[in-house]
Amino acid sequence: MNARRQAAALAAPAVAVLGGVAVAPVLAAVWLSLHRSILIFHEQRWVGLANFRFLLGDARFGSAVSTSAYFTAVAVSAELALGLLVAVLLQRGGGLFRAAVLLPWAVPTAVSARMWAWLFNPDYGLLHRIAPGIDWLGSPRTALHAAILVDVWKTTPFVALLLLAGLQAIPEEVLKAARVDGARPARVFFSVTLPLLRPAILLALLFRSLDAFRVFDAIYVLTEGGPANATETLSIYAYKTLMRSGDFGYGSTLSVATFACVLALGLVWLRVLGRRR
Amino acid sequence: MHAVRALCLSLLLCASCSRTGREAAPPGAVPLLLKHQPLWGDPGPFHAFLDRFRRENPDVLLRTETLPNASDVAREMFVTALEGGADDFDVFAIDVVWAPEFARAGWLADLSEAFPPARLRQEFLPGPVEAVTLEGRVYAVPWFLDVGLLYYRTDLVPRAPRTYAELSDLAREAMARDPRLAGFLWQGRQYEGLNCNVFEAVWGHGGEVLREGRIAVDTAEAREALHWLRDAISSGLSPRSVISSAEEETRRAFQDGRAVFLRNWPYVWAEVQAPGSPVRGKVGFAPLPSLTGQPGPGALGGWQLAVGARLPPARRRAAERLVAFLTSHEAAVELALRYSRIPARRAVYQDARVRDGAPFISALLPVAVAARPRPVSPYYALASDAIQGELSAAVVGLRAPEEALARAQRIVTHLEER
Repeated sequence: MNARRQAAALAAPAVAVLGGVAVAPVLAAVWLSLHRSILIFHEQRWVGLANFRFLLGDARFGSAVSTSAYFTAVAVSAELALGLLVAVLLQRGGGLFRAAVLLPWAVPTAVSARMWAWLFNPDYGLLHRIAPGIDWLGSPRTALHAAILVDVWKTTPFVALLLLAGLQAIPEEVLKAARVDGARPARVFFSVTLPLLRPAILLALLFRSLDAFRVFDAIYVLTEGGPANATETLSIYAYKTLMRSGDFGYGSTLSVATFACVLALGLVWLRVLGRRR
Repeated sequence: MHAVRALCLSLLLCASCSRTGREAAPPGAVPLLLKHQPLWGDPGPFHAFLDRFRRENPDVLLRTETLPNASDVAREMFVTALEGGADDFDVFAIDVVWAPEFARAGWLADLSEAFPPARLRQEFLPGPVEAVTLEGRVYAVPWFLDVGLLYYRTDLVPRAPRTYAELSDLAREAMARDPRLAGFLWQGRQYEGLNCNVFEAVWGHGGEVLREGRIAVDTAEAREALHWLRDAISSGLSPRSVISSAEEETRRAFQDGRAVFLRNWPYVWAEVQAPGSPVRGKVGFAPLPSLTGQPGPGALGGWQLAVGARLPPARRRAAERLVAFLTSHEAAVELALRYSRIPARRAVYQDARVRDGAPFISALLPVAVAARPRPVSPYYALASDAIQGELSAAVVGLRAPEEALARAQRIVTHLEER
C-alpha cells in the first residue's frame, strides 16, 4: 500500500503536466466548439451541436479532409520508398555523408518552404528555367504536388534515419545465414531484411502519417492554402477560421474534427504495431 | 545604394523628429501617437506637414509610428493589440473595409459630434463616407482613397469601351492584328484583390453586394458576373495567367506592351507614364465598363483616420484636432501633389494647384465619385477570406459559379447569424 502511494506520488507531476498541457486544451476546444463565439465582437453563446451539424454539410470541410488525406498518402508513401533507399545507401556511407543527408531535416520548415517558393516562382524560379510553362504554385492542379515535393524533400532524411536504426538492429548472423543458404541479395533483402525491418517501418509510418495529416507550416508558407483552396488542409482551414474569420466556435469545431481524425489514424497504426509477431 | 541611403535618411529623420519633439515639449503637454502606413517616397514632406500641426498645437506632443505595409499584416496587428486592450492607439489609419468591424468591436471612438455625418456627406465623396458610417454614426474620417479603373492602349484601340461586349470586341480586333497581345488583364489570384474585381463585375451587371445590412454573395448578378470573368479566361480574352496574378504582375505585363486593357488602381498611371516606360504616352484611362454602358463603379480602397475608443478627454480632443488637420483640404492637396494620393474631398479635385500639378488626379473625379465600398458590414473583413477561396475556385474553373457562390454564401451566412 505504501509502495503504491509512493508510486502515485511519483507519477503525479507527470500526470499533472500531461493533463495541463494535453488534456485540458483539448477539452477547452471541445467546450468552445459547442458555442458560437466571435471573440472581437464579444459574442459568446451556447449552440450545442449546431457547429457539428454545419460541419457535416460543409463542402469546404470535405475538400480539406480529402486534401489532407491525399497529401498524407502520397507524401508518406514517397518518403517511405525514398527513405528506405537512402537508409540502405547510408549503411555503407560514412559519418559525413550521413550528416549531409540530414541537412534538409535540420532546416526549419518555414525557411525551406520559403526557399522552395522561390524555386517555384513563375518568373525567376530555377524550376521555371528547367521546365518552363508550369506555374507550380499558381495552378490548382500542380500546387498540391509542389507541396508534396517539398514535404518529401524535407522529411525523407528523417524516415531514412529511423529505418537506418532499424537496419542496424538486424543481427549480422541472420543475413550471413541467409547468404550461406544460397539466397541472392535481392532475396535476402525481401525475405530477411524487410520483415525484420517491419517494426521500424511501422514506427516511421505512424510518426509521418500523423504529422502529414495535420501539415500546416510548409503549405501555409508556400501557398496559404490557395489557389482556389486546392491546397487547403484541415489545419489551414481551422487556422483561417480561427484567426482570419475570428470564428472561435466553428474554428474549434474544425480543430476538434482534425484531432478526431488524427486520433483515429493513430489508433489504427497502434493496433497494427501491437499485432507484430 | 539609393535604398540604403533613403533608409538611413528616414531613420535619421524619425529619430530627430521624435527627439526634438520630446525636448521641446512644454510640461503638461498632451502626448499623442499617430500610427499610419508608410506613404512611399520621401517621408520628408509629410513630416514637414506634421510639424505645421506641432507649431499650431504647442500643447500637443505628437509622435508618429509606421505600420506594416501589407494590409492583412497590419490588420492582424491591430486586432491583436486592440483586443488585448493596448492604450497607445490614439489616431490610426485603417483600411476602408475595417471601419465597421472595428466599430462593432468597440475599438473606435464615435466621431459623429466632431464630424457630423451630414457635413461629411457634403464635403467628401459618397463611397468613403458610406464606408466609415455604421448605423448612422461616423467612426472614422476618409483620408485618401483608391479606386479600380480601366486602362487602355490609345494606340491599339480607338476609344475606351463602355460595355463588356465592346471591351471584348475592341480587344479581339487588336489581338487579331497582333496575336501576341493579351486582351484584358485583371487580378484573379486568391486574395482580397480578387474580391474587388468580382464585386466590380457584380456592380457592372447591376447587382449589389449588401442587402439589408447582410453580405449578399449568391445573387443572380453575381452568377452572371462570375460567368463573365470565367468566360473571359476560357475564351482567351484574358490569358490564363490572370488566375495567379495580383496588381504588379498585370501592371508589368501591361507596361511591357503585352496587353490592350488592364483593370488596376490609380498608382499604375505614374508607372506607365514614367520615362523609359515602353507604353509612355500610349495609355488612357476610363471608368470600368458595364453591361448597360453606364460607367461601372470601381471598388473603393484607401485609408481612413480613426480615434481610439478609450482616450481620456484631453487626448481625445487633441486626437480630433489631428484628424481634422490631416483630413483638411490643405492636407489632401499636399498628399495629392507630393504622394499622388487620391483625395476623398470633392473640392480638392477642382483646386487649381491639383489641376496644374496633378492633372491625372483631377481627371479621376468621375471615377472617384462612382467608387463603391465593399460590403459595409462588421462581418465583411471576417468573411472575405472564405469568399476569396470560392471566387478563386470559380475563376479557375474548378467549380461552376453557381456552386461556388452557394458555398461562399453558406459560410458567410453562418458567420453573420446573430
